[in-house]
This record gives sequence, C-alpha cells and structure tokens, in this order.
Amino acid sequence: MSEPRETILNVNDNEAARYATSRILHRAGFKVLEAGTGGEALQIVREDLPPLVIMDINLPDISGVEVCRRLKADPATASTMVLQMSATNIAVTDRVNSLAAGADSFLVEPVEPEELEAVSRALLRLHRSEAALRRSLAERELLLKEVNHRVKNSLQLVLSMLSLQGHRFKEPETRELFAKAISRVTAIAAIHERLYQDADPLTVEMHTYLTGLCAELVRASGMEESAQASLHIEVEEMRLPTEHGVAVALVVNELVMNALKHAQPTNGPAVINVLLLRFGTGQVRLSVADNGAAPEQTSSEVAGLGTQLIRMLARQLNGTVGIERAAGTYAVHVTFPLQSAVSWRQPY
Amino acid sequence: MAATVLIVEDQILIAWHLSDLVEGAGHRVLAIARDPAEAMETAARERPDFALMDIRLHGGTSGLEAARMLFECWGVRSIFISANLDPATRAQTEPLRPLGYVGKPFLPAEVITAVERAVKTVAG
Repeated sequence: MSEPRETILNVNDNEAARYATSRILHRAGFKVLEAGTGGEALQIVREDLPPLVIMDINLPDISGVEVCRRLKADPATASTMVLQMSATNIAVTDRVNSLAAGADSFLVEPVEPEELEAVSRALLRLHRSEAALRRSLAERELLLKEVNHRVKNSLQLVLSMLSLQGHRFKEPETRELFAKAISRVTAIAAIHERLYQDADPLTVEMHTYLTGLCAELVRASGMEESAQASLHIEVEEMRLPTEHGVAVALVVNELVMNALKHAQPTNGPAVINVLLLRFGTGQVRLSVADNGAAPEQTSSEVAGLGTQLIRMLARQLNGTVGIERAAGTYAVHVTFPLQSAVSWRQPY
Repeated sequence: MAATVLIVEDQILIAWHLSDLVEGAGHRVLAIARDPAEAMETAARERPDFALMDIRLHGGTSGLEAARMLFECWGVRSIFISANLDPATRAQTEPLRPLGYVGKPFLPAEVITAVERAVKTVAG
C-alpha cells in the first residue's frame, strides 16, 4: 500500500517561479497548495496544516523570515517544517537569520529538481518522526496519569479498609492501637494527594500537608467537640523533598498523637503548638509543644514504637532530637538540614 | 442540622467509609449508588440535600454524567471526590455548581469539613 500523498505549501509571489516549483513537486508525487503572500501562507498553514512549507524569502507583505518566525511561535503550527528559498544574490547573514528564525533548511536558487525533491523528502521524514515522538510522549503522559490515579485510589482503598476494620473492635486498647496504625498510614498516604498537583512533583509544600494532617488528628482524637484541646500550626513556606516531607509528617503524627493523649492540664484546655520554621543557616526546626505534663519516662514508653519512630525518622532526616521541659510546657524539637530537592523542570 | 446525603461511588469499601463519616457527623445517608441510573432512582424517590460524587465511576467519567443528571433534573448539587482533580476536571464540574472538592486519598476531616460546608450552603 502506498503512503497517502503528502501536502506541501509552495509560497512565492513570482508566478513563474511558483509554477516551476509546483511542477517539480507534482511530478515527485506530492499534493501542492499555493500561496502568493505571507498572509495567505499563514492562513493556509493554520487551516490545512501541511507538514512542509517551501517559501521564498522575499514576499510582498510579510517577509519569509517573519512568516517562519510566526509559524514556529504558534504551538498549533510550530511542528510545520519550513524550507526557505532565495535567489542567488542573498547575503549570508540573511540565510543565517532565516535559519535562526526557525527555518529547517535553506536552498539557494536555481535548484536542481532532484535536490528540491530530496530535501523535501528529508524534511517530511523528519516531520513524521517528530510527530511519532510527540504521539508517544502524549501516550506516556496519559499512562503516567492513569498509574497515578490508580496509586491514589489504591491508597484510598487501604485507608477505607483499615477504617472499616477499626470500627469492628470493641476493646478500647485494640481500638487505640488500630487508630494509631490508621493515623500512621494516613500520614504516608496523604502526601500523594498533595503531589503532582503543581509544577513540581518531586517536592511537597509542607503547610497544606501538615495543616490537613493536624486537623485530621484533632478530629480522630474526638477532642474537637469537647473543646478539650486546641492546636496551633505555624509552618513557614517551604517545600521539602518528598521523602523528607513524609518523615516530618510521621514525626508530627507521633508527637501530636502523644500530646493529644497526654496533654491534660489541670486548668483550661490543652494547647498544642506545631511549628516548622527555618533555623540558623540552612536548617529547619520542627517543634511540637504543649502545656500539659511531660510524659513519664517509663521504660515501656522509651521502648514504645512511637519513640523509636521519632528517633529513626530524625536520623533519616540527618537531624537531632531535643527535649525541653519547663514549668507548664513540654516540647520536642527535631532540627535537621534543609536539603534542596532535585530540581525539576517541565519539559516545555 | 441533619442533612440527607446520596453517596455515588462504585467502590463499595470507599462508599462504606464515606457513609460512616457522613453518619458519624450526624447526617443521614439515603443510599449508596454505583452508577448514574441508581443515583437517579434514589433521587427521584427521595430528594437528597446533596450528593457525594466520585467523578470516575467504572473507570470512566460517568460520575460527571450522574452529577449533571442530578443537577438538571432535581437541582441536586454535588461534592466531587476524585483521585484526579486537575484544573481540566474541575472545569468540567463548574456548570454543576459544585459544593466542594475532596481529593483521594482523603483525610476524614476533609470529608467532614466539605460536608458541613455543603450543609450550610444548601440550607442558606
């Protein structure tokens, strides 16, 4: 089966020259469209999207170089191949300018018919392979979007399953253990809702992420309705690499869960402060403080999973853990170096 | 104020979870519908105050279709839930006067906040 005939737009205000070129192209088996001015050429390209334009550099209205520049600047027509033609007396700078304006090739007349045909075929070949690449890129993007959708949906299923399971337990201790597990998994899963929403999928904006998680922790603790606790969050504008973001969120999760459980001051409601701020040079400090009694350092708590998690995650952040006990306050600080994320640029 | 809510979600585990959350917040779930037809059936019988709508039912966009039918026939508006809430998707929901958006995986607190906000909007 032969390829469908490819279309070439032939632009020249000189009728005789235009006729000569069209004749060569017809004989070579191409379908030929014609234009006598730059304006006409632009209109035809927008309407018919021919893969190749062969265009004389001197046109009565807009110069060939300018027509080329406009075609290449418009995303709708940018993939059109442009072969600029000119008479012998053109200066080298004009040829250079023309290529700089985006022309894909340049020929100086007179041109042998074989050469015109060969260059046209080469440019059309390039156009075909570029189109194939663009198609494949679009397919990959769609696939990535689909995979991303499935990941998020599967995480939702995991969370829903855990939550439904959690309701089936009657014993308070089992319920609490399960609630802890759900909370930890939620902190990990929730980052996926925040990623891929903006231009940078490799980092996470910490303010929305932590604010959402803390609101959920207060809700899950049931302390919201009874006004037993109030939680204040101050997160400086910052983006952390995804793996650091998750580590910080898990530490916040452990500390806030603890604070909600233990902070029961004798007078007034518990006040919990969560801060994530830049600290010194190139450091970040996460602090969770409350006005309740410091937790008793019993041996079982030291060995508790929560405490272990905080230590492990602080190490993963290359950070240190500090504990501050003062009258009426108990604070845990995790200080770690702010690592710049791998930079990400959108391809276009 | 207790509202009546229709949940449209084809993944039953997620639908149950949503149902638990809505009822836990003191509202009534009229039904769990898995497709536009079931959604319309419930809405025709007992008008819900609003719907919690998964945009992508059965892997397609029929959640949008369900939302459009509910809105055009009964004036029932939706809170949209989806794992993909990009600007193009949001734009498609615009004419249906959305009551809110919740991204998957959701935080229960986000669902409840969106529901409470919707209750106020619909009542006001």
